[in-house]
Amino acid sequence: MSRHRGPVLVDTNVIIECWRVSAWKALTSGYAVETVEMCEIETQTGLQRRTREQQIDRKMLRDTLKAVHSVSDAQRAGALLKDEQLRFLDAGELMLWSHAITRPDDWVLCGPDKASLRVGIRLGFRERLVSLERLLSDVGHRPTIELRQAHTQKWLEHTLTQLALLEKKGP
Amino acid sequence: MTAATIGIRIRALREKQGFSQEDLAQRFGFKDRQTLSAIETGDRRVTAEELVRAVEVFGVQLDYFTDPFLLVGEGRFSWRQSGLVGRALADYEVDAGRFIAAFRTLAPQIGRDAPLLRRTLALTSQSSFDNAAAAGERFALEFKLGEIPATTLADTMERELGILVLMVDAINGISGAACRLPELDVVLINRRESPGRRHFDLAHELFHILTWDAMPPEHVEDVAPKRRTRVEQLADNFASALLMPASALDRYGDWSGLKGDGLIKRLNAAADELRVSSSALRWRLVDLKRLDRSTAAAIREDKLRNNGRTNPEKEPLSPLFSKTFISVIARAVDEGRVAVRRVSYLLGLAIDELADLFKAHRVDAPYDL
Repeated sequence: MSRHRGPVLVDTNVIIECWRVSAWKALTSGYAVETVEMCEIETQTGLQRRTREQQIDRKMLRDTLKAVHSVSDAQRAGALLKDEQLRFLDAGELMLWSHAITRPDDWVLCGPDKASLRVGIRLGFRERLVSLERLLSDVGHRPTIELRQAHTQKWLEHTLTQLALLEKKGP
Repeated sequence: MTAATIGIRIRALREKQGFSQEDLAQRFGFKDRQTLSAIETGDRRVTAEELVRAVEVFGVQLDYFTDPFLLVGEGRFSWRQSGLVGRALADYEVDAGRFIAAFRTLAPQIGRDAPLLRRTLALTSQSSFDNAAAAGERFALEFKLGEIPATTLADTMERELGILVLMVDAINGISGAACRLPELDVVLINRRESPGRRHFDLAHELFHILTWDAMPPEHVEDVAPKRRTRVEQLADNFASALLMPASALDRYGDWSGLKGDGLIKRLNAAADELRVSSSALRWRLVDLKRLDRSTAAAIREDKLRNNGRTNPEKEPLSPLFSKTFISVIARAVDEGRVAVRRVSYLLGLAIDELADLFKAHRVDAPYDL
């Protein structure tokens, strides 16, 4: 597949996974990777919600990201009123979507949590949801450490089908 | 989120901060108080600008109005505790309220509705201790709790009465709690307490749930026996009879001829079997007139402590929460109704620990994030 040329929005899970499999450099060299402040905060030690944490250097993160966006209360309120399912996301994921839906450009979003993916479908952005595996593969990088299942392309495709069916069925 | 939820929370804050509807309408920039009134009753949706204005006016976080896992003026708790200071308990109540609210919100989304009806016990604060004990006996019999009621009570409460029973790592000093929401009853049990204490607390809290309207329990009750109110004593009598019904005690034969070490040994062995404390068994036998009060009072407390064990072995801890609770969380995560990281915060566990929790309850883990 051809490499996406526009902005790539990533969440906390993706940054941590990139660090775990040593793929951050490949990702940020190949794409204009952006995130929001809350996701950046959540990648720091003590906030990763993992038993074995990655040592993610904040300065290096900042230096390699194309942009780290702040999200205002007004943006967050607008998003929450647009789709109530956003209330069930983690703070970083909520901020990332609150930012994403205000952008007019051709961003894609990489965030593997099913709740985040389901929000993407609900908001009409299914085609903009991408897997970390696909992003890496499109820039010719294959991690030597196996990606967790939720970051693979096959899992994403299967999950989007499952979630779209659930959305069709209604609440 | 429903307009009603935001409206209820705006109203709760307005009342807490002492604003009239007119005052607040003016601060929001509304022409009249009817607009605010319509927001508070959920008849009118707030706009994003109004929500941000509410944040500024009340000085709270935006989440206060939108968080589905927050109990605002809806949950009433009754804590069984000893020696706790107010702040620590208040903080823990907020945390506990969050995971209770999570269940309350997510369960209907996956097709598990709250029970339609609530059971109650026909007792009042005027009822005698014998009445309460008789109710405990009948509960054990009618719900077929078996020869060791302590081992079947939690499942029966969840299955037959729709009461959620959660094992928690509470802060020091809390042994348990009953919580009543408009549509759900919950009992919290500190899983680090001894089995005897845990089971007694569970039966005691069950009494509160079943008599909440007639005898609303105190927000905080002290487990120290000297300070017990009449309602607490009724709850104790109910719990004692439920866990040690006369029929279950029959198999231990006659106690009247026993004294000294022989009595102590029998008490400790029977209490172990019934999964209660030896001391609770002792007083239950006195109530049933199977043991003389003066003989019971003469037993040294240290002979019954830890059911007679000088170095009690640590039992494996019960898994946190309950299978019912974890099944709802797992399915909600799998269907993308709640984010894994959000659940991780709610339950106070790392994402990797969630996988262990699902396994402990033999619930399929949703996916590996």
